[in-house]
Amino acid sequence: MMYKKYKLHPVSAVINFIKGLKELIIPFLIIAVANGFKIESNDFWEYIPLLIFLLVLIFYLISGFIRWWTFVYWFEENELRVEYGLFIKKKRYIPFDRIQSFNYKESIFHRIFGLVQVMVETAGSTDGKPEVVLTAITREEASQIERETKKVNIEQASENEFEDKNQLEAVEVQQDLHEIIYKISAKDLFLLATTSNSIGVVIAGVAAFISQVSEFIPYERIFEELSIFIQFGFMIVLMTIFFTFLMAWIVSIIITFINYYDFTVVQENDRIVITRGLLEKKRITIPKNRVQGIKIVENPIRQMVKYATVVVESASGGFGEHDKKIMLFPIISNQRMLEPLRQLFPHFDFEMEPDFIRPPKKAKPHFYRIDILWLLPIIGLCSYFFYPLGLFSILFVLPVLMLRLWQYKTNGFIITGNQLTLRYRVISRVTFIAEKKRIQVVQSKQNYFQKRKNIASIQATVMSGITGATARVSHLNESDVNELLSWFEKSKEMKKEDA
Amino acid sequence: MIRREPEYQIPRKGLTVWRLYGLIYTIFLSIIAGVASFLTYKFDGPTFIYYIAIVFVAIPALALIWLFPKIRWDHWRYEVREHEIEIQSGLFVVTRTLIPMVRVQHVDTSQGPILKKYDLANISISTAATTHVIPMLITEEADRLRARISELARVAEDDV
Repeated sequence: MMYKKYKLHPVSAVINFIKGLKELIIPFLIIAVANGFKIESNDFWEYIPLLIFLLVLIFYLISGFIRWWTFVYWFEENELRVEYGLFIKKKRYIPFDRIQSFNYKESIFHRIFGLVQVMVETAGSTDGKPEVVLTAITREEASQIERETKKVNIEQASENEFEDKNQLEAVEVQQDLHEIIYKISAKDLFLLATTSNSIGVVIAGVAAFISQVSEFIPYERIFEELSIFIQFGFMIVLMTIFFTFLMAWIVSIIITFINYYDFTVVQENDRIVITRGLLEKKRITIPKNRVQGIKIVENPIRQMVKYATVVVESASGGFGEHDKKIMLFPIISNQRMLEPLRQLFPHFDFEMEPDFIRPPKKAKPHFYRIDILWLLPIIGLCSYFFYPLGLFSILFVLPVLMLRLWQYKTNGFIITGNQLTLRYRVISRVTFIAEKKRIQVVQSKQNYFQKRKNIASIQATVMSGITGATARVSHLNESDVNELLSWFEKSKEMKKEDA
Repeated sequence: MIRREPEYQIPRKGLTVWRLYGLIYTIFLSIIAGVASFLTYKFDGPTFIYYIAIVFVAIPALALIWLFPKIRWDHWRYEVREHEIEIQSGLFVVTRTLIPMVRVQHVDTSQGPILKKYDLANISISTAATTHVIPMLITEEADRLRARISELARVAEDDV
C-alpha cells in the first residue's frame, strides 16, 4: 500500500532562504563596515569579500530551495514520517502517541498565503527545539495532521480498554471541553506595556536614538516662543527627557500590542492552548501533565498596583528558542488570577498570603552583609578620586540596603501536603509553586557564617528547558531547612511506617 | 531539628589526587612566574616583580595543594539509600543535595588518566534537569554504586 506523500508549500523555500539571510546580516555588516561602504573601486581584490558574500547568498537560496524540494511528510503505521535532504537523506519517524503537542506560528508571510508553520513537540524535545518543523503548510493540512494524530490515539486508547465503546464515547464527550480561561483586555495591554521591565530598555534605545538625531531636530524653532519666557537650555533638557519617556512609552505600548494582541488562554481537555500576536500569530499547546511548576512574578511597580505575571515552567519548549518560559497570564490582578488558576490546576493550593516559614531575625544581617564587600571599595575609590563630591557615593548604600531588607521581608516557604511554595525576591517578587513529584532536586546551602548562626539557604529545581528552573530562598532557620529536606524524602519514611 | 551527615566519605586516595591536581596547577603557574622573572632579569626590570612572582606562586600553591583539598575532602560525604541519594559537598559553601531515586535518569562513571592510575572513578548522576557528581571513588566501589543506583532507580515508583 502506498501512502500519500505531502509536500510543503513552495513559500517555505523562500522562508528557508530568509531564515538563512538573517544569519548573514551580522557578517555582512562587518564586511560592509570594514570596507567603509566603498563599493566602487578599481582594485579587483576589494571585491573579494562581496563576491564571497554573493556566493554564500546563492548557496542559501539553492539550499533553501532544495530543502523544500526534497521535504516530504506522510502518515504510515501510526507514525508521522518526515524525510528531507538531497545527498544526505534525513528521515524522522514519530509515533503519534509520542507527540505531546502541535505549536503553530504564522508570520506575515504565512498569513498572506493562508499557511501555518507547525512545530511538533515530543517528550524528547526538552531543549526547546521541536522535533519536527513543517515550515509552511496550509491550515487544512495542519488540521489533517492533528486529526490523524487524534484518531490514532483514540483508537489506541480504546484498544487498551475492554469497554471500548464507552471509552470512545467518553473521549468524544471530553473533546467538547473548550473553555476560555483568560483573554487580555485593552486595559491590560496598556498596563502590561507601562509596567513592563523592558520599558527601561526601550528608554535607553530611544535616548540613544534621540541623541543621534538631536542635531536634526529644530529645537530652536520648536521652542522659539517658549524660550521668550523661560531659560532656554534648561527647557530643552527637560523637554528632551519628557519626550524620551513619552516616546519610550509609546514604543513599548506598540511592541507589547503587537506581541500580546489577543492573548488568549483556552482549556481543552487536559491541554492549555495559548494564542497571541497581531502580525505574527503564535499558538502553543501545553499538555497539563508537562507543567512542572508555576511562577507568579510581581515586579515592584506591579506589586504596588496588585498585579502579577504568571509563568508556567513546562518540560516542553515555549514559543521558540528565545523565550522558553511560557507566559500563562502576561498581566492579571491578584484577585482575578486565583479563579482561572484553580480552574487550570485544581490540585494546587493558590493561597497567596499563607503563613510562610520565614527567615529568623538573626538572619537579617546576612542579607546585606555581603554587599559591604563590593560597596566599600566602590565608595572608597569614588570618595578618594572625586573628593569631595565622591562622598555622595555613600548614598549607594541606601537603595542596596533597602532592597536587601525587602528581600528579608519577602523570603519564605510553606509546605502544604505535596506542594511546596517558595517565595523570594531578586527585584521582582517570585512565588514558585511546585508539586513534590515534579521537583527534581532539593539542595541546602550553608556557608561558614551561616553555620555559626544555624541558618541555611534552600533551593529546589524543576525540569524546564535544558538546565531546569531553580528557586532559592536564602537564610532560613537550619531546622526549617532540614524540615523541608525530610519532607522531600518523606516517601521513604512513610513506607517504613507501613511495613 | 538536626540532620545527620551522609554516611560515607571519599577515600583517602581522593585527597591525594586533589593535591596532585593542585600541584599540576601550581606547576603551570610557576612556569608563568618563571617566564616573567626571566624576562625581568633579562631586561633589567624592577625587583618587586620577583616578589610578586613568588607570591603569585606561593599562595595558590598553599591553597590548592594543602588547604582547599583538605577542606573539600572534609566536607564531601555521600549516601545512597533506597529512595534517595544524598550528597554533601563544597569548599566555602557546604551544599547538601537530595535526589529522589525516582528522578534519576541515568548514572555514568568516568575516569581520566590520573584517576585510572590511582584506581579511582567519578560517578555522575543525571536527573531530567541537573547532573550531580560523586568524585574519587575506588573504581570497584564506583561500578558497584552505579549498578546499585540504576537498579534502585528502575524499581523506584512514583508514590506521591
